[in-house]
Amino acid sequence: MLVAALFLETTACIQYICSRAAIEREVALRAKTELRSAELEINVLTSEMEAAAKMLSTMAETNLDNPEAMYASTRILLQTLDHVESAGIAFIPNYYPQYGRWFEVCSSRSDSVEGGIFTRQIGGAHHDYLQSEWFGNGLTIDSAWWCEPYLDDAGAKTMVVSCSYPIKDREGNVVAVTCIDLSLNRLSHISQYLQVYKDSYYSIQSSTGMDIVARPDTIPGRRYKLFVEEIDATGWHISIIIPEDILFAELRRLGLLITILMLVGLGLLIFIMVRAGKNLKSLIIVNSQKERIESELEIAQTIQSAMLPKVFPPFLDRLDLNIYGMVKPAKEIGGDLYDFYVRHDKLFFCLGDVSGKGVPAALVMATVRSLFRSVTSHEEDAAVIMQQINDSLGENNEQNMFVTLFLGVLDLKSGQLHYCNAGHNAPILNQTALPVKANLPIGVDMGHVFEAQSAKMQPNDVIFLYTDGLTEAENVRHELFGEQRMMDILTSVFGMRPRLLVSTMQNAVESFVDGAQQSDDLTMLAIRFEKPAIVMRNDIQQIPTLAEWIDGMNIPMELNMPINLALEEAVTNVMLYAYPGRTDGKVFVECVQCNGVKGEQLIFTISDSGVPFDPTQAPEVDTSLSAEERAIGGLGIHLVRQLMDEITYERIDNMNVLTLVKYLANPQND
Amino acid sequence: MTTTIQQSGNQMIALFSGRLDTAAAIPTAEAVKPLMEAENKEIILDCSQLEYISSSGLRIFLSIRKEAATLGSKVIVRSINADIRQVFVMTGFISLFEIQ
Repeated sequence: MLVAALFLETTACIQYICSRAAIEREVALRAKTELRSAELEINVLTSEMEAAAKMLSTMAETNLDNPEAMYASTRILLQTLDHVESAGIAFIPNYYPQYGRWFEVCSSRSDSVEGGIFTRQIGGAHHDYLQSEWFGNGLTIDSAWWCEPYLDDAGAKTMVVSCSYPIKDREGNVVAVTCIDLSLNRLSHISQYLQVYKDSYYSIQSSTGMDIVARPDTIPGRRYKLFVEEIDATGWHISIIIPEDILFAELRRLGLLITILMLVGLGLLIFIMVRAGKNLKSLIIVNSQKERIESELEIAQTIQSAMLPKVFPPFLDRLDLNIYGMVKPAKEIGGDLYDFYVRHDKLFFCLGDVSGKGVPAALVMATVRSLFRSVTSHEEDAAVIMQQINDSLGENNEQNMFVTLFLGVLDLKSGQLHYCNAGHNAPILNQTALPVKANLPIGVDMGHVFEAQSAKMQPNDVIFLYTDGLTEAENVRHELFGEQRMMDILTSVFGMRPRLLVSTMQNAVESFVDGAQQSDDLTMLAIRFEKPAIVMRNDIQQIPTLAEWIDGMNIPMELNMPINLALEEAVTNVMLYAYPGRTDGKVFVECVQCNGVKGEQLIFTISDSGVPFDPTQAPEVDTSLSAEERAIGGLGIHLVRQLMDEITYERIDNMNVLTLVKYLANPQND
Repeated sequence: MTTTIQQSGNQMIALFSGRLDTAAAIPTAEAVKPLMEAENKEIILDCSQLEYISSSGLRIFLSIRKEAATLGSKVIVRSINADIRQVFVMTGFISLFEIQ
């Protein structure tokens, strides 16, 4: 902006200086021209006067004998030449003795006499022309001679300048001087040339500097331009004096106008730039705010996504579960949630949809997720959990936001599922919607009593939970994905692992909406109950967990101890012999119930990655021996053989796999 | 699993309470040491509160039994439940001990 201002100002200055120079040149030229014209005019005038003086002189010379003729001569001259103010012929003292010492005949213009010309003799003591400069010089200079301006008190009675010329007798002696007075008023006529500007001045000065045409006094402090021309014939100086302020008034006006225009322009420029700057500033502020919000949303998104389990498989030690879940928010952050974790061999899981979207929904989502975790940490009853979450949420629910939520507690030992549905879409168990009670969504009614339900999950059963972001996914033609498509996909992926199920569903939705903007959060969670299983560390102290695990399975009471004992012996064997002297390593125990050739049977698989160890190769213990004969060890595998119906060992993929089978239909008790 | 040993006169009574599984066998083995040093005593293993026993527990019982024989003591197993009896049968322990 400063550069623009400087540029403009420099332009203005250059323009001013150039204009001023141009004006000065123009004025000088004009003054010169006018001065020349004036000089010419003056020259014409003075030549005329000089000619007149000469002529009068000649006339006087021819009439020297007749002094009376002088009167007529001067009179004729005045009548002939308008410019002449007065004309006189002055004689040397006592030339005509009869007239005495002074004799000067003079005709001058006067309005008070007939014909306008007053002719008389004016010499005398009162008008001693003999002392006059013009007379003295007229006698001695043999040519026309101009005297300094003076007040002609006798003849013209005004300021005059005179041209004198000698009159000689026949012998060549100067006897008289003619004097032609030029009234200075007459010279004023030439002002038409010299008045260059309205307020400019001019002056005509004699060779000695006396004013012939005077100029007004100059004003101190005012600057003037002076142009002078000397007239060769008379030695006069003509001056044109122009006050600079007048000379440059126009330029100054123009300069002022330009300056004003420039200032206005500059002001406008500044205004525009300031406005632009402000706009830019506010744009920068808006941008930085936007960036801040975006980065905060990004952080919020990270925090929110960190709340949801997203590492799959989530439980490396659980062979009984296979879970996969995903959430795809419509905005940066969403109001959908899912969560799950295992406590005491129970899988607590939930999936919900907060009313609304964006930040408010995300905050409620975070609250619900926290409540889910805190309430399930001490409570296992699905209805009670739901009730407590509802009551806690209702306490501070000023925004009247509500959440549809499905909550399940899956007993991993038995496959027993307890669940409570608060107004959410019924999950799909395998290929059928789970029956759900009409509970209110949470956050609607504090103190609402929720009803829980139960279902049995068999090994390999899959429960699929989703939010309406799936069924209500819209394509560009505003068609909904719908439940039918969802069910079709579920049928097509039946038997597949949860990860494949969810990704297949997601791909199906994405190809359905075909690029249409996602309008709602999309969340899916698939849980497959693989089979009852337990993973134990290679540590004898883990043995009691085996009993808990078996207690959790709904196996016939009378089989509890035999199975427990057989498994304990088998597992202890692994810990002692497959992992000798080690504490790392794991022992996996799985249970599958199936219908074999010998009817219903429970198949237990105990596997480990320890050194190859086949317990079935252990020698039989002779139970008939006396106490003294009996060895201390070897009872474990004996018990397993006794307690189970089938026992097989395999080494598969560097793992010891011991399979124990117990028939349910015909339990062997002895 | 707790093990308490009471001595009254010629009798030493060990009261087993809880589940004597492999994990519990280690502290139990420690707890029954006094029984191993008893000479000419009647050692009673009170199983009235014993819920469960695995081979590790049976080994302790057998050790007590063997040690008692060398020190002139007699071992009586008292009040075993059906499950434990079943284990005793399967392992032949039923004939190694005097069961009351």
